[in-house]
Amino acid sequence: MTMHKERITSLLAALDRHRIYVLLALVFAIMPFVAHGFGTVNNLTTVLKSSCLNATVAIGFTLVLICGELDLTIGATLTLGAMLTIGLQPHLGRPGSFAVAVAAGALVGLCNGLIVTKARVNSFIATLGSMTILQGILYIYSHGSSVSVTGPADFRLADFLEKPLVPLLTPRVLITVALVAFAQGVLTWTRPGRNFFLVGGNRETAWFSGINPARYVVGAFVVSGAGAAVGGALFGLSMCSATPNLGASCLMDVIAATIVGGTAMTGGKGSVLRSALAVLTFTAMFNGFNALGFPSELKILIAGLVLALVVIHEAAAARRHEKARGRRPMLMEELRRKAPPQERES
Amino acid sequence: MKSQIRNTVVMLAAGAMLAGVSGCGKQQSAAAGAGRADAAANLAESLKVDLSGIKSQDGQPLLLALETKTPPPRPKDPDALPETDPGHWYDMEYAGWNTAKENIPASPKDGAIGKRVIAIINGDHPYLTAYSAGMKKVAEAYRMKLRILSPNWKVDVQNQMLDEAVNEKPDLIILIALDAKVAILQVRKVNQAGIPIILSNMHPDNEAMRYAICWTGPDDWGQFRMLAKVWADKLNRKGGVAYVRHAPGGSPFFARTFGPASELTAYAPDIKTLDMQAPGFEAAKTQQVVSDWIMRFGDKLVGICAADDSAQAIGIAEACKKAGRSDIVVVAAGNSKVGMDAVKAGEIHAITYQSAEADGAVALKAGADWFNGLTVEPVRYLPKHVITQTDVDTFQPAQW
Repeated sequence: MTMHKERITSLLAALDRHRIYVLLALVFAIMPFVAHGFGTVNNLTTVLKSSCLNATVAIGFTLVLICGELDLTIGATLTLGAMLTIGLQPHLGRPGSFAVAVAAGALVGLCNGLIVTKARVNSFIATLGSMTILQGILYIYSHGSSVSVTGPADFRLADFLEKPLVPLLTPRVLITVALVAFAQGVLTWTRPGRNFFLVGGNRETAWFSGINPARYVVGAFVVSGAGAAVGGALFGLSMCSATPNLGASCLMDVIAATIVGGTAMTGGKGSVLRSALAVLTFTAMFNGFNALGFPSELKILIAGLVLALVVIHEAAAARRHEKARGRRPMLMEELRRKAPPQERES
Repeated sequence: MKSQIRNTVVMLAAGAMLAGVSGCGKQQSAAAGAGRADAAANLAESLKVDLSGIKSQDGQPLLLALETKTPPPRPKDPDALPETDPGHWYDMEYAGWNTAKENIPASPKDGAIGKRVIAIINGDHPYLTAYSAGMKKVAEAYRMKLRILSPNWKVDVQNQMLDEAVNEKPDLIILIALDAKVAILQVRKVNQAGIPIILSNMHPDNEAMRYAICWTGPDDWGQFRMLAKVWADKLNRKGGVAYVRHAPGGSPFFARTFGPASELTAYAPDIKTLDMQAPGFEAAKTQQVVSDWIMRFGDKLVGICAADDSAQAIGIAEACKKAGRSDIVVVAAGNSKVGMDAVKAGEIHAITYQSAEADGAVALKAGADWFNGLTVEPVRYLPKHVITQTDVDTFQPAQW
């Protein structure tokens, strides 16, 4: 009996660890049968293409979260990347504007990292501030309008980025896959990559192990900024335009996907690959809902419910974990609740 | 154990994807093989459909008499003109009027009845709920299969929805572009897929009109030029005014600010613009902005023009009330219930009449006309009207 219970517990734990694969499998197993046209090659290409923007942004965001910090500027940095790539193109050419956009994104990340590590400002506050500043700069730069390029060469590049080279895979999808694979590889197989987890898990231990945590935190912010800018730049190139509020909704989507993907808000745990798969899962789910004719408010509700369930589950798991380690911060409260009424009154 | 579970799950995911890919071909061919009605009979029946008896929520006819206008000659270099010159906005105001069309599919002339239409709007808003209701009324009349998708104000999601719509190969796509410039590639993509597209409500970039059958919607520039004159008359053509703007990016951001501002340059040159702000569509933020203006400009501020007569109007009314400035003459884009109630109460002097239901209906009616082989002008405007206290009751109950 105990053996049986242990097995179930272990199976549930394994399913939880790999929940994003389970969710992905469920979405792709159910949707083709209920949502008309979901499984067509064209539609799956659309799903993959639509995942690219948030998946690219999620790379750096996951890294920052693994370090135990938060980067709220990703949406604004994404917009910056797109605006500069398109806006500067007539002056600097395409490679030049792309390089400036990515460098600007990295610079935003560097500033965030330095504010968090050197000025010791909470990353939520620091990036909330820089996000607002950045949005202001973007509106000033764009005069509240969007920017676009409409030359035949621009259209050709946009077509190239959006049309599949092989079934399902467009160049933008391939670039995203390569970036995710590279980031996941670095995190898994290299020592500096693994050090990010150590820094996020326990900064003191990391310091005692000879690691400079501040350097890793700054590095994570730089990658986050550059990643968001690359995502925005590629999206801008594929649309030949950029809007000043392009990344407005990206932040919530990426946070949701990263958490559902299994990255801990407390740091020390996470995976770029799983974040990207979570983005894909959400995109595929919404795509199926569109085919089913669900109204957008229902889609928002379902996404919220999934996120809420995962967050509640994570909180409960963290509490169980603390309990297992013998830490019971609410011990006195627990004892008081368990005590008979007379004792409680006395 | 762990790796076994992981491998099983990954294989399940891959298997499911493959199963989906192979299973869908059958669905598509079944849809493609759906029965085809006799084109001539369908056309004859479609042409008989009478929409004149359909009313909007406010009791007005759903399809009002459309307006047209003759664009003046284009200035040599509109950008060189100041923003207060109407010519500076020429390409925006007259977008689509003189655009050379490219690769527009020929009308099948087989009737509108039974056609599959996908409408991609820009977001969730009471105006768009009424817009969708108007479109559905036309779809019912023509027995069209209409599906309305909302990206909830997200450009990337709108792109995804357009891709999905293209994959479905409907007979027509109607699009409210979220952004004038992003619309260029969006419309081009649909055009290249050989699917006819009609643009609606928000003015796209002139270049986008190249690939679309037509654009239908409110004549925002014209409406606000009209509103500006009513406003200026109430202000005795003098004093300082400020503008609460629409969301950046879309055409109303410019039309509802520079439409009146450039009109007043000639009509009431003694009216000076003090400031322009875009606080979004939140009453609290608008109230803050207006309170700041009242403090900053004092009695110099005599008029406020708002891009929205609901949330923004509430914020303006609150700020004026708190500052005891009921003398400020407020005008706004309308015509929501909030706006019309405010006109009735004297808090707003005038609002524009923009039938949301007609806005949606006109877009689909243009599509029906195109299927029926009728002439579809490059631009179809809703009629213009300014609502004041004298005629506000005519437009009640409000559509949204």
